[in-house]
Amino acid sequence: MQPETPAVRELISTEKNYQSAEVWTKVTGKAIYGIDLRLPGMLYGKILRSSHPHARIKKIKTSAALKMPGVRTVLTGSDLSCSPYGIVINDEMPLEPEHVRYVGDEVAAVAAVDDKKAEEALKLIHVEYETLPAVFDTGEAQLPEAPQLHENFPGNVAWRREVVRGDPESAFRNADLVVEGKFHIPQFHPAYLEPVACVAVSEPDGGITLHTAVQSPDIVRDLLAQVLKLPLSRVRIVGPVMGGGFGGKVYGNLNLYLISALLSMQTGLPVKMQLTREEEFTAGRPMVAAEIKMRMALGNDGTFLGREMDLITDNGAYSAQAPWVSNTLAERNDSVYRIPAIKTKARLVYTNKVPTGQYRAYGNQVANFACESLIDMAAKKLKIDPLEMRLRNCVRPGETTVHGLQIKSCGLAECLAAATEEIGWTKRKKGHGYGLSAAIHASGSVVFDPNLRGASARISLELDGNISLFTGEQDYGQGTHAAFSQIAAIALDLEPSRISVYSKDSLVTPYSMGALGMRQATIGGKAVQLAAEKLREKIIRTSSEMIGEPVIMENGRIRSASGRQVDFTEIAHYYHGQTSGLTLTGEGSYVPPESSYDDTKYGNIAVTYSFAAHAAEVEIDPETGALTVHRIVAAHDSGRIINHLSASGQIYGGVAQGFGMSCLEGYLFNEGRVANPTLADYKIPTALDVPDITPLFIETDDPEGPYGAKGLGEIVQVPVPGALANAVADAAGGWVTEMPITAEKIFRILSNRGAAK
Amino acid sequence: MSYFTAASLDEALNVLREAKGKALIIAGATDLFLKGMPSQAVDIASLPELGMIVEEQDYLSVGAAVTHAAAASSPLIMVKAAALAEACAAVGSPQVRNLGTIGGNLVNAAPAADAAVALAALGAKAVLCDIDGRRRVEELGNLYAGYNQSRIDSSREIVLNLIFKTCQFNEGSAFARFASRRALSLPMVNVAARVGLENGVFAEVRLVAAPVKPAPTRLFKTEEALLGKEPNEETRQMVEELASAEVKVRGSLLRCSADYRRHLIGVLAGRVLMAAVRRVQDKEES
Amino acid sequence: MDIGKITFLLNDEPVTIYADPAESLLHLLRDQLGCMSPKEGCGRGECGACTVILDGKAVNSCLVPAGKAAGKNIRTIEGISDGKSVHPLQRAFVEKGAVQCGFCTSGMIMSAYALLAENPAPRQEEVKRAISGNLCRCSGYKQIEEAIMTAAEEMNENRVRFVEKEQKE
Ligand SMILES: Cc1cc2nc3c(=O)[nH]c(=O)nc-3n(C[C@H](O)[C@H](O)[C@H](O)COP(=O)(O)OP(=O)(O)OC[C@H]3O[C@@H](n4cnc5c(N)ncnc54)[C@H](O)[C@@H]3O)c2cc1C
Ligand code: FES
Ligand code: FES
Repeated sequence: MQPETPAVRELISTEKNYQSAEVWTKVTGKAIYGIDLRLPGMLYGKILRSSHPHARIKKIKTSAALKMPGVRTVLTGSDLSCSPYGIVINDEMPLEPEHVRYVGDEVAAVAAVDDKKAEEALKLIHVEYETLPAVFDTGEAQLPEAPQLHENFPGNVAWRREVVRGDPESAFRNADLVVEGKFHIPQFHPAYLEPVACVAVSEPDGGITLHTAVQSPDIVRDLLAQVLKLPLSRVRIVGPVMGGGFGGKVYGNLNLYLISALLSMQTGLPVKMQLTREEEFTAGRPMVAAEIKMRMALGNDGTFLGREMDLITDNGAYSAQAPWVSNTLAERNDSVYRIPAIKTKARLVYTNKVPTGQYRAYGNQVANFACESLIDMAAKKLKIDPLEMRLRNCVRPGETTVHGLQIKSCGLAECLAAATEEIGWTKRKKGHGYGLSAAIHASGSVVFDPNLRGASARISLELDGNISLFTGEQDYGQGTHAAFSQIAAIALDLEPSRISVYSKDSLVTPYSMGALGMRQATIGGKAVQLAAEKLREKIIRTSSEMIGEPVIMENGRIRSASGRQVDFTEIAHYYHGQTSGLTLTGEGSYVPPESSYDDTKYGNIAVTYSFAAHAAEVEIDPETGALTVHRIVAAHDSGRIINHLSASGQIYGGVAQGFGMSCLEGYLFNEGRVANPTLADYKIPTALDVPDITPLFIETDDPEGPYGAKGLGEIVQVPVPGALANAVADAAGGWVTEMPITAEKIFRILSNRGAAK
Repeated sequence: MSYFTAASLDEALNVLREAKGKALIIAGATDLFLKGMPSQAVDIASLPELGMIVEEQDYLSVGAAVTHAAAASSPLIMVKAAALAEACAAVGSPQVRNLGTIGGNLVNAAPAADAAVALAALGAKAVLCDIDGRRRVEELGNLYAGYNQSRIDSSREIVLNLIFKTCQFNEGSAFARFASRRALSLPMVNVAARVGLENGVFAEVRLVAAPVKPAPTRLFKTEEALLGKEPNEETRQMVEELASAEVKVRGSLLRCSADYRRHLIGVLAGRVLMAAVRRVQDKEES
Repeated sequence: MDIGKITFLLNDEPVTIYADPAESLLHLLRDQLGCMSPKEGCGRGECGACTVILDGKAVNSCLVPAGKAAGKNIRTIEGISDGKSVHPLQRAFVEKGAVQCGFCTSGMIMSAYALLAENPAPRQEEVKRAISGNLCRCSGYKQIEEAIMTAAEEMNENRVRFVEKEQKE
């Protein structure tokens, strides 16, 4: 159980808006981001990309580029000695030696003294291609006559999964009602405001230091060492400030990193590279597109009996995290409710389009669009209130879900009640549409790397009495580090501002999985708590050794029964002297129990789970289909909220992103080419678009998370697509089953119903 | 390249003349900078004579270098040519509106340029001056050579200002656009109207829609059908039907289908017309 | 590439540099003058991260040719406070949680600064409009809008206090 000391309560309430000092560098324009980095003697790298969706490279002539003044080196795929690599599937090369598979594929790279020269040199590289038939549609790609993208993947199927739980056949046989739908979801880009940028520095010892802001630096370090065949200790990642990530920068852009490292190793000089906004869209890693066919079986009283899903995700040319994303997309929503029988068939299919990766909630948010729409379709048929239906079926504390997730703390029913109460579910405004949606998300996933489930932290008492905390967990504005300072402050009984957090140099920070799977707050925070508690013990022990009598620690002060006071500086110096230079340090590691995952992937996958219910209120212009989203109420169970300011910020931002993907965003293609690779045409919401958002916190006390906290950063986006789809359906009388929900699509529904004016 | 900031119109014309076709006029640069800068630029953005908004008798003259921001907040334009104020307020973003000019909007010749559509509805004419100092006045419709192509050769002539009759007591104008995002968004369609009422019926109507053709397009049939009609719900519905039947439009992957675009033009035509009428009625009431 | 001499005021100090007038003001500031607060998120006027104030108006510095900057007065976030104290906007952005990744922040504050110079007591709708050319992907804008309203209030109170003090003296 969590210690509920007065200090904990007070800290969480009085310091609920604490922010780390870094924020001041951001409001004064002094924060240094990846794009701002400049090192003496630095070169600039640029990439020549394929202009064909599918082709064989017959010849590359680089001599003219090499001769150009200011050009220091030119690299092509045939210069590389590395083998294909990948995060899940080894299907990618930093520069493709002979076979390009999408418009944007890396073909050659140049390093020159400035970026204009590098850009010009690209034009002097002559590539002779033999074009190949290309395939852009996942259905066509699976046909026997379709062009093959990768040798080892017949039918272009990169990954497949079939799962049966319970007895779906009898569930559907015995159902009173079966509803079904087909849903289409395009690629979405996280559209962080800062494009990926890096500077690679080849070191005298043959190693590489890569300066880049990435969510999981240690994993990038592993991959760089593996692909470049360098000893792990010779690869170092140093992070500038990150201009947004949202899951899209878990691994940054690995090809860019590898190419800049190779260019730097070749020239012996630092090489800076950064993606243009257009490259971000055309050669970044948006989240997979999906076609979902789904059926649901229900009893007359609205009880869920079973669900069937047939999922095809569009991998594009290479895989990145797409298999993991497809897996979450396929099954996470099954655990929101009690659904006794599940049958899922999922395939991830290669096409000659932009490769895919991940965005914020690993596909859970787009599956929500389909699953929650279907629930409301059923509710309408059965004439049951959608709230009633969800309350009847939603998962409760202590239950184990159909895929084996063990639910400890769970405030989902309370979230549903609170969101609907706040939006005025029973006091509806005439002509407005109302929609509801619910979600679960793993907080502290332990299945990414079974050998590295947990996290560790190191915390030291400095000579000046302040505290330094070293962690591998990254903060790019979510407030993780402020929360860590708060957590450590609770353990050490002092103000959070005395605790500085260092996370940005892989040489000195503990190894970590980084910012993914909502693990930082839970797992990372827990490690901080344990480390700080260790330090506290050591401080107490050392103090009593120093003054020769037992002491207690309170409000950052240490005193003995006899009234003798010691301060942190004194102890730090004492220990320093006793050990000739060491600092008092606490190391903590939190290792959550192993996943109980079996061969069918049944089992508990995370330390704990967060829950949410969102309710939306919308209005439709009957003449045009134009949608106004008046309000989204976001009720969240993320356990105890350590920092209200940043927790609210996560909700406002995540819901705005959910709104964007639901109503505005999405890739458009023309013969495999991205047709909207700009921020003008890939429309993320402006201040005038974002609806009024009301965050509500249902603060359960989680037994696992630090001081009862659970993750929040990803789940904020998950229920939005479903809530909006249902609100629109309520107003329009039918569901838009293709994201984004545009005015034109709504208008088509109105017209088909004869309801357009 | 060379960059010349002109201090007077004569100076600008001189530089153009001497450059023999190599120099190009530049105003806010919001279009030109992305398309590629010329080898010589003659910046006319701060020429006082091109930055004025003046009323002379029944006419309003808007300088070609007036920015969208200045036009949108000009009391003169708001009162006497509301459609133009509304159109300029809808352009891009505050930053783009602070740079981009009305003249640039016209010469850039995008088919659904917001200011151009409003100006066409207001019946504006462009006053041009060439390097030999010859001035001429042109109908807006005559300035388009094709999609995104102006007949104006900015290496040898300058748009000085746009002139149109102000909206009189019995007249009103309005502009509307439809876009997927509320800022930083090019429109799927934009429509503007200028109406004159006499004895409670339409005596004069100019209704313009885009993108239909390279230039903002007048909907003559709809205009004609309106004359003599009372502005009421029935007329609005008629306009909706006539306007969308009158236009032939193309669909686009990035914006919307042709059918939907045609439908939107109808709806917006009805709306701007009624909004323009309301402006007349408001004047009559106050 | 022709290099020309360009002189302008940057945060009230005259600067003279030699640059290609077709270069963007954004690159001029960042690459030649070491003024890194305007950020490049798109280079096409579509994100607002590069917003600076040119003769009192918020503009996208990525769309301004260097030649146009000549003779102008340019203000960046480095020039809104004296380095010792902070501007009320900066304080309010911190206090209201308006900063997450911070990449949009400089541009956002400059748009807000231009707004408050013209309209010291904006309504929320006016604030939204004023920052509608500044994309923020992190925050959902809510806390940014609150911060701008709060700063406006503080600045107005300061003005009242200043006037009262003047009157007493
Ligand atoms: C992010 C963004 C969003 C935008 N959104 C919109 C929008 O919503 N609606 C819209 O309509 N437009 C939009 N635009 C386009 C643009 O801002 C406008 O067309 C603007 O009015 C152009 O004016 P300018 O002064 O910047 O033109 P410039 O770029 O300076 O010039 C454009 C062309 O006109 C010529 N020219 C300019 N002035 C004259 C003159 N007086 N005489 C002769 N030739 C001249 C130039 O030689 C050049 O060929 C947007 C642009 C951007 C970058
Ligand atoms: S960088 Fe200038 S607007 Fe995006
Ligand atoms: S704080 Fe990250 S983009 Fe605004």
